[in-house]
Amino acid sequence: MGYFDAANAPLLYFLVAAGIAYIVGLSAVFLCKSWKRCLELGISGAKLRSVARSSAVFTIVPSVSVVIGLFTLSTVLGVPWPWYRLSVVGSVSYELMAADMVASGMGYSSVSEMTACADYTVFGAVMFVMSMCILAGIVINIFAVEKIQNGMNTLKKKQGDWGTIVNSCFFLGIVAAFTPLIFASGTVYAAAFLVSMGVAALCVLCMRRFRLNWLGSFVLSISLIVSMAASVLLERLLQ
Amino acid sequence: MKQTDSYTRSVHRIGRVGSVLAILWMLGIPAVMCGVYHMFPSVPDLLLFGSGLLAMYVPTAVSEVITYVPMLGSATYITFITGNISNLKLPCALNALEMADVEQNTDAGDAVATVAVAVSSIVTTLIVALGVLLLVPLRPALESEPVRIAGNYMLPALYGCLFLSQMTSKAGGTVIKGKMKAAVLPGILVFVIHVFLAPVNRGLAILACIPLCMLCAWVLYRMGQIKVVHLDKDG
Repeated sequence: MGYFDAANAPLLYFLVAAGIAYIVGLSAVFLCKSWKRCLELGISGAKLRSVARSSAVFTIVPSVSVVIGLFTLSTVLGVPWPWYRLSVVGSVSYELMAADMVASGMGYSSVSEMTACADYTVFGAVMFVMSMCILAGIVINIFAVEKIQNGMNTLKKKQGDWGTIVNSCFFLGIVAAFTPLIFASGTVYAAAFLVSMGVAALCVLCMRRFRLNWLGSFVLSISLIVSMAASVLLERLLQ
Repeated sequence: MKQTDSYTRSVHRIGRVGSVLAILWMLGIPAVMCGVYHMFPSVPDLLLFGSGLLAMYVPTAVSEVITYVPMLGSATYITFITGNISNLKLPCALNALEMADVEQNTDAGDAVATVAVAVSSIVTTLIVALGVLLLVPLRPALESEPVRIAGNYMLPALYGCLFLSQMTSKAGGTVIKGKMKAAVLPGILVFVIHVFLAPVNRGLAILACIPLCMLCAWVLYRMGQIKVVHLDKDG
């Protein structure tokens, strides 16, 4: 039995399909519960449908990049395992790094060499290492989410305006860390960022001027696609 | 109030139980495969292969929980289980808060963020499943040069529009005037360190920038440079 016989085993397809069905089921439970809660809080069904539509449309483009990652990983990990890993907590860079750690630990020079030369037993180590090493976030959540959320709610209630400002500092922290790194990465990165901002501003302007309220569901998606297309053009121009 | 408590308790209970079951499933698949095909790795081997990754990913996980929980609330459970946080779920949730005109860390904000993340998780799962079904015919198109280049620039493209919407946010009828000033000094520090001293790790940079932004915001708030304005119903 070779490495890819284990990596593409029908049993693995079955286990992965069941695991993914669980994830979809859990998401559906959260969706039903929060939807009902929104209605109880007075948010209209129309507004909720608009939020859901916008979230679904926006998700398509980043998800395509996840599919591209699936193609990359399938060459070294078979199809079912990357399918599962990329549907749950994994990412292409993490999975490749984990496979590389196993390969180097076993004395192979690369993951490709490991998949070509190793027998199927290596795949067990690959699956376990990938699963174990990225669980920390989910484990911490079990103990911390409710406490952190209660703390933030209390802060907001007790501190008034200052509590509102503290809330906004979490996103400001991302702004302060991401923006300089984007601009330091090169001209096209900076241009993609600015084009996206410009397109979003234009969309909002059109919404207000021509009363195109439906456009609100698509601002993020339009900005993302136009900016990514512009980055392809710019990269070709700068070559 | 009673309804709020009951929803909060129930959503956290589902999140905790759901997370435990997800972990069991994530470890259960390798365990079943190893049991059936007799390929269990030894514990010393696992420690050898995994220790480097654990050293790298445990601190990252801590920083992600601290950063994202205040923004995502109870949506954090499903967000962490399904992954793609900064490049998909967080923008999706923040966009949803803007669209529904509700604030973070309120009952409504928490529920709306959960709707957005749950929809996004289901759509991603379906698209990846479609990718598996259409693996052969899709591969040439999705591995073409333009798509590959466009994928490299997804993060700046995503955050450009998101930053704009957050800068001009009036969600929940509250505007924080001058809030971007609090990000200036931390941003300059990150740029200087990254360009002139050493490459900066994104997760660590966020973890350092949050308290620094709070400190700057506190000073600017006391100086009257940052103000919270509550809009009336007509905006």
